[in-house]
Amino acid sequence: MTVSTDSDAAAEAAASVNGNRPGRARRGWLLIGAALLVGTMLGLGIGLVIPHLRTPGDDSVEAGFLRDMSTHHAQAVEMSMIAHEKSTDPDIVYLANDIALTQHGQIGYMQAWLRDWNLSPTSSEQPMAWMPDSAGSVVNGLMPGMATADQLATLRKATGKDLDVQYLTLMRAHHLGGIHMAQEAERLSSNDDVTWLAGTMVASQQGEIALIDDMLKKIQGS
Amino acid sequence: MSTPGPERVPSSVKVGKTSGQGKPPTAAKSAAAKSGGNRPGAAKGGKGRKPVTPVKVSGGRSWGPIAVIGLVAVIALGIIGFGVFSVVRGSRSWEDKVADIQGVVNYRAQKNAQIDARDHKDGTLTYVTSPPVGGAHNATPQNCNGDVYDAPIANEHAVHSLEHGAVWITYKQGLAADQVAVLQKKVEGKDYTFMSPYAGLDKNVSVQVWGYQLKTDDVNDSRIDEFIKDTRILAALEPGISCSGGNTTTGPVTAAATGTGMTGS
Repeated sequence: MTVSTDSDAAAEAAASVNGNRPGRARRGWLLIGAALLVGTMLGLGIGLVIPHLRTPGDDSVEAGFLRDMSTHHAQAVEMSMIAHEKSTDPDIVYLANDIALTQHGQIGYMQAWLRDWNLSPTSSEQPMAWMPDSAGSVVNGLMPGMATADQLATLRKATGKDLDVQYLTLMRAHHLGGIHMAQEAERLSSNDDVTWLAGTMVASQQGEIALIDDMLKKIQGS
Repeated sequence: MSTPGPERVPSSVKVGKTSGQGKPPTAAKSAAAKSGGNRPGAAKGGKGRKPVTPVKVSGGRSWGPIAVIGLVAVIALGIIGFGVFSVVRGSRSWEDKVADIQGVVNYRAQKNAQIDARDHKDGTLTYVTSPPVGGAHNATPQNCNGDVYDAPIANEHAVHSLEHGAVWITYKQGLAADQVAVLQKKVEGKDYTFMSPYAGLDKNVSVQVWGYQLKTDDVNDSRIDEFIKDTRILAALEPGISCSGGNTTTGPVTAAATGTGMTGS
């Protein structure tokens, strides 16, 4: 009892010595609380913002390339599925199968990255706007190498050797346009995912062009 | 219980020190420290110095650093706050964005069983809206890989394409060629879009995806582009599915049913 009375007295004394001690203590806790609150908010804010600073933005080369290449690939899938369904040449059927599945799979990669980066798969930008000096490369909304509606309609009606030659010819041009875009993306982008995928597109489509040239020679020679 | 005493006393020392950081002379600071450092029993003796210290405590606050720190904190919070705001705003869902476009009708919100139906049915089907925005449909979709059809196409195929995330632009039959050309520019070369004239359309243009529709008389209406940007691909009920391989002929479903194409979902 005496001890506690003593300590009470001591507290009282200390309080009186330091003026309004209880008020200061309360203010101290308030300050700590405010600091914690501000710190938490800053942390949350920075945490929210940082991932968006580290991933490509809506008007970046990466976003433009992924959107445009998705559209470009979609036509390769379309042409290849026509050839896959209608050709009677097993080599053409396999090549068409290969191109359709590869490019549709790559569309999945590209769309998933846009989604991961919280970017829309669509944009109000014109096709190829991400590529410098691309003015004039888009004709009637078609990116380099893309077949026209008339060419697709003709391909749908074709059969036999005619179909095979048309498909190979259209696909060769399509690959050339695609390689050009992928090379630019590889050169301009510093995103590892994008340069990796663009690099594989360049390599595999260049390989396929050599294959297509061989097949065209063989078919037209027969 | 002797512990509370010494525990509290050092804390009062600390407070005294903090307050002493400013202008008060060192003599007063040491005095405060000394009085605080005294043992509980001896603290009573410190009462004598009490009138001196409070003055120094209140006068010891230096506002300069506080103002600087406060300003920096406010600026930092402002920058972070703006960043968060733009991130949150940029990550709004496409549904929120399309809801902001004036005049868009949201049929998904109506929970109409006939519009929400997704089963495959053969033959001619009737739809709640004109043009349709959803409902049972033919097993074969209409090709929607940037296809421009110059004659009306079957609703039954087109609705299936809407399910795949395509934007269908329809225009009043007989619309002037230069106006059709404006719409055609929005479709050509763009996957997940297709367009066709539509018989009996009440406006010059009607743009639709699954569950959303926008009608306007002006082909240059900027809301058309907004609508396409906010819904194309995003409105898909089956994300990842292709827009090719569908029916490419025009005309009613009975005539088109023999067209090439897949019979997938």
